[in-house]
Amino acid sequence: MKKLLLLLSVLVMVMGFSLAVHASPEEDRLVFRKFYEKRFPNVATEDFINGAYSIDKAGRENWEAIEEFPPYEPFMERGREMWEKPFANGKGYKECFPDGPGVAHKYPHWDKKQQMVMTLPLAINQCREANGEKALKYKKGSINDILSYMAFESRGQITNVVVPKNDSSALDAYEQGKKFYYTRRGQLNFSCAHCHLQNAGMNLRAEMLGPALGHTTHWPTYRSKWGTVGTLHRRFTGCNKQVRAKPFKAQGEEYRNLEYFLTYMSNGLPLNGPGARK
Amino acid sequence: MRKKSLQLVSVTRVISVLLACMLLVTFSVSAGPAAKDQSKAVSKDVQDGKKVAFSRKKGNCLACHMMAGGEAPGNIAPPLIVMKSRFPDIKKLRAQIWDAVVRNPESSMPPFGRHRIISEKEIDQVTAYIWSL
Amino acid sequence: MLIKYKLGILLLMIAFASGQVLAADQGKAAAKPQAAEKKAVAEDPRAAAANKIILAADAARKKAGSVGGEWRDTGKMLKKAKAAVKSGAYDKAIKLAEKAGRQGELGYTQATSQQKLQLPSYVTVLYVNK
Ligand code: HEC
Ligand code: HEC
Repeated sequence: MKKLLLLLSVLVMVMGFSLAVHASPEEDRLVFRKFYEKRFPNVATEDFINGAYSIDKAGRENWEAIEEFPPYEPFMERGREMWEKPFANGKGYKECFPDGPGVAHKYPHWDKKQQMVMTLPLAINQCREANGEKALKYKKGSINDILSYMAFESRGQITNVVVPKNDSSALDAYEQGKKFYYTRRGQLNFSCAHCHLQNAGMNLRAEMLGPALGHTTHWPTYRSKWGTVGTLHRRFTGCNKQVRAKPFKAQGEEYRNLEYFLTYMSNGLPLNGPGARK
Repeated sequence: MRKKSLQLVSVTRVISVLLACMLLVTFSVSAGPAAKDQSKAVSKDVQDGKKVAFSRKKGNCLACHMMAGGEAPGNIAPPLIVMKSRFPDIKKLRAQIWDAVVRNPESSMPPFGRHRIISEKEIDQVTAYIWSL
Repeated sequence: MLIKYKLGILLLMIAFASGQVLAADQGKAAAKPQAAEKKAVAEDPRAAAANKIILAADAARKKAGSVGGEWRDTGKMLKKAKAAVKSGAYDKAIKLAEKAGRQGELGYTQATSQQKLQLPSYVTVLYVNK
């Protein structure tokens, strides 16, 4: 009997493995979601956009108090000024983003012409450079101002990443992001999934590990540890470093593909940036 | 209620300290001089091993495991208690610390030996310490 | 009267102390050209040995990086090793470089042993029981 059970479970695993390897992004997303809904049956799926605070009661009270006087507000204000102010050539962000500042939900997307994943920070810098302005840095500094403003203007929009079927390079980029997420890295030998899936809800020392569903809805984010607002790729950098892996370049191919996969996993969730975190 | 439990804790503490003293006394009485030297070396390892285990830069075992005397432990992994009964063979304990992935390919415990996070000597020390728990 | 006496002693003490410092400085200055001379006359064979190990370790680091497997501190270790060679601490340099080289190899092995996507069992199982 025991042997039979073992055989059966091995069979299920093997089946699961081959299914999972050939899964479509949409199947991946449903599994990703189900994983957290099973682990945290009392959390409403939409609440995962609040990160670790969706499952950490004590942390949540603290955070709600912080959100009463949002620390990212001055950044948003400066961002609004950047948005309004024309470049030296007389043009401005408005020409690059004709649909207005509330377009964060359109990123990341597959850029067929450039054959790469286009993110909002990258689009901002391409706009600047096309108009003779200097590119902004991708982790710290004033890119976070304009991103904060655009994130705020995008609040309530729904995450909706598309992996176009008619371009296999798009699927490749997605698959590479997925592979990145499940690959062990660094001297400490962790994958992202070790902390944010396998051990979600557990404490690493005193810190609760948050679910990855909703990880992409609230960027840029004010972090008390940083004392400022920072980008998603700055966060990726930190999570790579803490396992003693050499981080990748912000807005390089690896992190953009990772963002593509990770944001796809949150499809259907509303945007709530800029965020505030510990 | 709180007071009572505190009292209870302190009473059990006193008793356990007494018991430990008695054990120590009987142990040192029964042990010969050679055994004494050996046990000194072992206890030195245990002491050094505790430092390695608690240090954030070295073992940082507390990030995941509860351990006696450690503050703010994580709860990712089972508490490290009664290790002699869980690992009667100390070699297996050492192997677990050296590379946890061998026993569980999906383990989130860092491979302290395989990835040279701490030295072989430090692994011996940590093993001695953990085995004493 | 007493104060003048005390001041005098103080001055004497200061003079003595600064004399000592100066003498020590001169000693150092005298020693320095000697060390430089040594380097110029013949490169210490241990420096060449250390540099060789550093070069190999840097290659191992780059190889790990080429497959996305470089570790955080390997580059820093090599920088320190190079600085150690410069200051003549060859043993330290060799030790650091050897450590960095092993990190490069381990990082490379780590990355290449996961060339195929390996989803964890707690995820794959969910693809079946939908
Ligand atoms: C060793 C554990 C660990 C690993 C591995 C790890 N993280 Fe994190 N991560 C954390 C902790 C702790 C936090 C802060 C608490 C939280 O939100 O989970 C965090 C936060 C984050 C956040 C911000 C969450 C928010 O709500 O703002 C993102 C995004 C993130 N991690 C992505 C990643 C990615 C991508 C990887 C893989 C490259 C990764 N992490 C690997 C521990 C880890
Ligand atoms: C990042 C988390 C983490 C850290 C840090 C960690 N461990 Fe573990 N450890 C685990 C997990 C998870 C297990 C459960 C078995 C497994 O998955 O390998 C475990 C299991 C063990 C076991 C086996 C327990 C049993 O009864 O089966 C021992 C012994 C152990 N760890 C010792 C240590 C020591 C010693 C250190 C510090 C040098 C340490 N661990 C650091 C996560 C960790």
